[in-house]
Amino acid sequence: MLSVFLHKKRKAAQALDAARGAAGNAGEALEQTRQVYGVRLLVRGLLWASVYLIARGVLELQGLPPAARVALALLPTPFFAWYLWTWMKGVGEMDELQRRIELEALGFAFPAALVFLMTVGLLDLAITLNPEDFSLHHTWLMMPMLYYVGLWRAKRRYL
Amino acid sequence: MKNRLKVLRAERDWSQQDLAGHLGVSRQTINAIETEKYDPSLPLALKIGRLFEMCVEKIFTLDDERSA
Repeated sequence: MLSVFLHKKRKAAQALDAARGAAGNAGEALEQTRQVYGVRLLVRGLLWASVYLIARGVLELQGLPPAARVALALLPTPFFAWYLWTWMKGVGEMDELQRRIELEALGFAFPAALVFLMTVGLLDLAITLNPEDFSLHHTWLMMPMLYYVGLWRAKRRYL
Repeated sequence: MKNRLKVLRAERDWSQQDLAGHLGVSRQTINAIETEKYDPSLPLALKIGRLFEMCVEKIFTLDDERSA
């Protein structure tokens, strides 16, 4: 299993090097590197989402011992860490405008998520929201959604 | 901030991709600078100046400088 993982990692690194080397100039290399990271992000993001959905589906079943439930709850975390590491490496390969766009997307998403969670918290005190719709395992999804709204706004501004 | 990047690039018959290659940035960044949606960082502005063998002030001017 480890050798398969290392082989795939080596091949991906070769693909990245090839993308850099084959490009006629730095601009094309940057574009191709971005594409390579885009594919990696997509694959690792889908892997993380799949593990999350499986863990969540199994956790909704009754009769599992607490230790197994905790292990299942923690299962998506390393996959998310892998996804996050890829994203951070991708940001390191970006040029200054692409980094600015990422920064503005996060600059929008963070305060917007803060306001959203604060409002949900206050509404929960006011009228006791249905936990089937507004518990933590639902509301966290707003954060990536707000990031993509921020990304759309920043791209519209600069591109 | 106004700039003459498009004119300077056209004088050399370079595409946006060519210029991006010389500067090590993406084509989108060149487009955003040319359309004045984005002001480059000081290191990038200096690289542009060096590439075109001109002072940065000859390429980039503040909005109020042209009207003055």
